[in-house]
Amino acid sequence: MAEMLQPKNQNLRIEKTEYRLVFEKTGRARYISHLDLMRCFQRLFKRAGAPLWYTQGFNPHAYLMFPLALPLGTSSSVEILDIALTEPLGYDELCEKVNACAPEGLRLVSAAAPVMKHTEIAFAEYEVSFEQDGTEGSVLGQRFSDFLAQEKIEVEKRTKKRGVNLVDIRPHICLLSLSSEGAHADAGLRLPAGSEFNLNTNVVMEAFESFMGSSLDRICTKRTKILTKSLENFI
Amino acid sequence: MEEIRNKLEQLLLKTQKPARYIGGELGSVTKDKSRVDVRFAFCFPDVYDVGMSHLGMKILYGLKNAVPNYWCERVFMPEKDLEALMRENNIPLYALESLDPIKDFDFIGFTLQYELSFTNVLEMLDLAGLPVYARDRKGLTPIVVGGGPCVCNPEPIAPFFDLFILGEGEEVNLELMRLYEQMKPQHPTKEQFLREAAKIEGIYVPQFYDVTYNEDGTVAAITPNVPEAKPKIKKRVISDFDHAYYPDSFVVPFTSIVHDRVVVEVLRGCIRGCRFCQAGFIYRPFREKSINTIAGQTRTLCEQTGYEEVSLSSLSTSDHTRITELLTTLSDYTDNENINLSLPSLRIDTMSKEIVDRIAAVRKSGLTFAPEAGTQRLRDVINKNLTEEEILRTCRLAFSEGYQTVKLYFMLGLPDETDEDIEGIANLAQKVVDLYYETPKEQRGKSVQVSLSCATFVPKPFTPFEFEPQALPDEIRRKQGHLLDCIKSKKIKVSYHQMNVSVLEGVLARGDRRLADTIYCAWKKGCTLDSWDEHFRFDLWQEAFEECRTDTAFYANRRRAYDETAPWSHLDYLVSHEFFVRENKKAHEAKTTRNCAEGCSGCGIKKECGGVYCG
Ligand code: SF4
Repeated sequence: MAEMLQPKNQNLRIEKTEYRLVFEKTGRARYISHLDLMRCFQRLFKRAGAPLWYTQGFNPHAYLMFPLALPLGTSSSVEILDIALTEPLGYDELCEKVNACAPEGLRLVSAAAPVMKHTEIAFAEYEVSFEQDGTEGSVLGQRFSDFLAQEKIEVEKRTKKRGVNLVDIRPHICLLSLSSEGAHADAGLRLPAGSEFNLNTNVVMEAFESFMGSSLDRICTKRTKILTKSLENFI
Repeated sequence: MEEIRNKLEQLLLKTQKPARYIGGELGSVTKDKSRVDVRFAFCFPDVYDVGMSHLGMKILYGLKNAVPNYWCERVFMPEKDLEALMRENNIPLYALESLDPIKDFDFIGFTLQYELSFTNVLEMLDLAGLPVYARDRKGLTPIVVGGGPCVCNPEPIAPFFDLFILGEGEEVNLELMRLYEQMKPQHPTKEQFLREAAKIEGIYVPQFYDVTYNEDGTVAAITPNVPEAKPKIKKRVISDFDHAYYPDSFVVPFTSIVHDRVVVEVLRGCIRGCRFCQAGFIYRPFREKSINTIAGQTRTLCEQTGYEEVSLSSLSTSDHTRITELLTTLSDYTDNENINLSLPSLRIDTMSKEIVDRIAAVRKSGLTFAPEAGTQRLRDVINKNLTEEEILRTCRLAFSEGYQTVKLYFMLGLPDETDEDIEGIANLAQKVVDLYYETPKEQRGKSVQVSLSCATFVPKPFTPFEFEPQALPDEIRRKQGHLLDCIKSKKIKVSYHQMNVSVLEGVLARGDRRLADTIYCAWKKGCTLDSWDEHFRFDLWQEAFEECRTDTAFYANRRRAYDETAPWSHLDYLVSHEFFVRENKKAHEAKTTRNCAEGCSGCGIKKECGGVYCG
């Protein structure tokens, strides 16, 4: 089986053009898991006739990279996807081609050359809208600010080595806005994000639920910004 | 729709792989309801991951949606987690495209691929908020229809359906929908509509037939009770298969499913006539597509879906009359595009080495053979045309190229099987192992593994073995034990299918209408998703058999006389009863029948059906 030991793409074009894409994930597409999203985009570029660059080696795979995962169910219009193509395509052209064959809820917003390194991602901002049957939005909002007024908010965190740990997340939560309308309360939150320390909104909302001693009936979450340490937009 | 959507959004995150339940995949078809005249809910009575792999659904989905004012949507069986949430929150079964409840559709269609999905049909009707028995659904709509291979004996589930479609669906589905579209403005009753539908060839309306029974429990007669019902209902066949409708787009799921790739159907029907194989008879005659058609469909679908794998579908791909040319043409395209070409049903013994080398999936998956029986004598009984020499010759070649795994498929409980045949299975496996050790060290791979997969034989209607008794569970258990005793090498691994599954299959496959109440009873007790080991509850089925006084041996384990009226005798799959009798007799004499390519054996199929070799 000697001939099988050669990389499949040995005569591949090495030149590549890198792109940083900003995309939207809304509606039904919110339920696509991170792993599935990878495959979905891969097929999407194929359909769009945008030739993806393949890594070299014995197990070549298309180069696609999401620097920051989006939790299942959260919508966003600021998601980042890095790709490389073997043939350069204009930024607008690439977006148009891909959007023409994208499924409902996935849409490229813009394309550009990458500027920053993935490790520069430090924060993300969210809008969380939540409801509880039988409770006014304004009451719920008040409860939320009571919740944040605590000195400490301890949550359990599982680690591989030390089992369950208690972590205080209060210092990491930055409340940007809080309002209510009718049945729902809306909170703007800035939370740490990225490879070093990541705090998801569901951890915050679960802590809020246990603070209240009852669960919420509807939570809608939207990611609105991905930021660097100095709070610049990640580009 | 909005209501279901809102409720779902709160629940989906509590389920496994929620992307299966919300639709919106690429290639899924949405239409403006106000411009649609006929809505069809195409139900696959199993979970999304299985149903989405099914080719028939892709074909009929595309076909119906190609008509501007028809809208066909997909519906699957929810897993138990979502099912519980749906019931708790009063969410009725909905279609994935519109998220509308299916009980408001014009048609609800089920494809019946295996007997073990029968309880899922009941579960889905119930989840939809409909009575499961057809007689309790009084209005015109939804009209509940069934199609697929199990429709060749739909009697055990007949009382749950308004009508069945026999044979290939490409033409008759549209004829049925057109009839409905024409009649709908006059607000016919259900009976009025069904009477008209019964006139269409290939449509069977079970309520228009009375079944009477003899004292010994066998069927006495099946008699039409309205003038529109024909005494015999013929299956439909697409005679011009090369020009048959084939979709130019597939729904591409987000989650990974069983067969996640482009599938192109290259031929339909099978020339081989293995006597145990229902598919080999009910899909006759053998027809194929031209290379041009296949290549064009491959290209179109690869471009539309973005898949990186294409698979050729058929009962036996190597029987295509121009297989080498076909594979060369296709691999020229796929190699160029970085696409893998896989051929699940290829007999590699007949292929040239260069072609085999080019096909990735063959390399990946190792060698697979289906001798089905352990000795040549028993292989002659079942008319399985695969010799020991062929298997060993291919294995020798493969071992010298470094292959390390060989998988062999067998059946236990075949007609006229003796212990010698069981020993033959072990011997054959041992010969394959020996062959590996005979291969020079510098050529062969590091080690070898021979896996034997042993299913239990289930006699099926419309095969020469439809008259045969199914072996009793104790006998199968003894045979399994004997096989294990005969195996001496650690390199041979044996796996069995769950036997109770085969017992149930055996009863349902050749059952009659009286079984419907048993199925209902089992479902009421909680039997659903029976084809999943983790959900299969044979204990509940046994309770149901007992409560409904169902004698399983009567259905499965008794020899049926050639002149007994079978529960399916009013259905005509074009292969003649005389042929099955002839084949059954030859089987017991261990005489083989040549395949259609070697010469027609006069099975009863007419030349007009478009078969390559018929006439
Ligand atoms: S009519 Fe002859 S060639 Fe055609 S399917 Fe039957 S046996 Fe084969």
